[in-house]
Amino acid sequence: MHFFSRKINKTHFMIVLILSIVNILIILFLDPPNRAQGIFGNIFYIHVPVAWTAFLIYFFVMISGILFLINKDLFWDYLGHACAEVGTLFMFLVLVTGPIWAKPAWGYYWPWEPRLATSLVLFIIYLGYFMLREFGGSPQQVSRYAAALGIIAFLDVPIIFISVKFWLPEMQSHPQVGEYFNGPNSLPSLLIAYSFFSFIAFSSLMIRYRVSTLCLSENNDL
Amino acid sequence: MLLLIWKEILCELRTKQIISTMVLFGLTISLMFALSFNLNKEVLRLISPGLFWIAILFCSILGINRVFSYEIEGNGYWTWIGAPIDRGLVYISKVIVLVIFLLLSEIIIAIPFFVFLNIKADFSIFQFLTILIFGTISIISIGCLVSGLTLRSKIKGNLISVLFLPISTPVIIAAVKSTELVFDQKPLKEWSFWLLILITFSTIFCLTGYLIFNYIIEE
Repeated sequence: MHFFSRKINKTHFMIVLILSIVNILIILFLDPPNRAQGIFGNIFYIHVPVAWTAFLIYFFVMISGILFLINKDLFWDYLGHACAEVGTLFMFLVLVTGPIWAKPAWGYYWPWEPRLATSLVLFIIYLGYFMLREFGGSPQQVSRYAAALGIIAFLDVPIIFISVKFWLPEMQSHPQVGEYFNGPNSLPSLLIAYSFFSFIAFSSLMIRYRVSTLCLSENNDL
Repeated sequence: MLLLIWKEILCELRTKQIISTMVLFGLTISLMFALSFNLNKEVLRLISPGLFWIAILFCSILGINRVFSYEIEGNGYWTWIGAPIDRGLVYISKVIVLVIFLLLSEIIIAIPFFVFLNIKADFSIFQFLTILIFGTISIISIGCLVSGLTLRSKIKGNLISVLFLPISTPVIIAAVKSTELVFDQKPLKEWSFWLLILITFSTIFCLTGYLIFNYIIEE
């Protein structure tokens, strides 16, 4: 079946396309929220929404894991797997955009910022999650193990964050998101960027979930 | 529960495979560190807490790898699944036993570690032991959980290392920082925050392990 033959795919694609054009215009032509950083400061409109979306999706992995362990409903397993894949993709973007922003802001690519460090650790844990999915045992067992790992990984987040924050306190003088709202355009632009990345995440989740269910029905047919 | 703990201790007394490998590996790694870092005393003292906890972390992987070996070898898994016992309690008993084994190994390893690296033990042994106990509980609570998750995998050893090390990142940060402050003879209030992180971590993961073990260990 063709991707655009489904009406919902078509609608999502159109919304994502419009939002992405608006978002690119904002990134390229709007003043950076922090003028001292020049055009590099505009990566704020990508980095912050991507990071929030990634953490939100990982939170859904945990919720799916809990619900799967309680209900044993495969829907939650597929949703958890889809969330883990999309979340890891977003986390990768966080790890790419973070250092690009860090260089003009603080003078070095890796500032050991607690959120960035937490993202890196979570990213590595989730690479392990996919290895567990691949090599963990039979599909039924792997679903349970992956659900448990999704819970453990998210429980680790606040502890990693606090540990890194107090690990090198002299290196933690980072500007907070609120400090960037010095222009009238900052907040609406950020909200557009949030909507754009949330929509991309939501659409990707739907497609990934559908791929999982199609794979299952194909396996059942064989 | 006590019976489960006694069973684990008895198995180890008969085979001696966990403690012996952990101690030997710890001694070897201490020797390797001493030979690799030809540094002056001040620098060695600065990096020694990190080296010590890295050695402990690697030793613990050996124990974690073997902790469910009796349940897996010889089809013991199915007997275990069929046994009318709370699997959460099995997890807790494994944690308790492995904490005892690792603590014993740490105490044995610590002596040659300080001797080889020429580190003066002029700090409070009691404070150092406190950090060792909570650091070990944190490491083992997450280690046993990861070992349970990789129970049926053909590449169990590889998966344990890949999953266990990143999850234990906060433990290493907290343990190294608090050990550093204890080595510098700082008062309790300066490192109590890190001790609190270790206590919080061990409590959260012991509870999580107890709660989810019943769900993950099934047919």
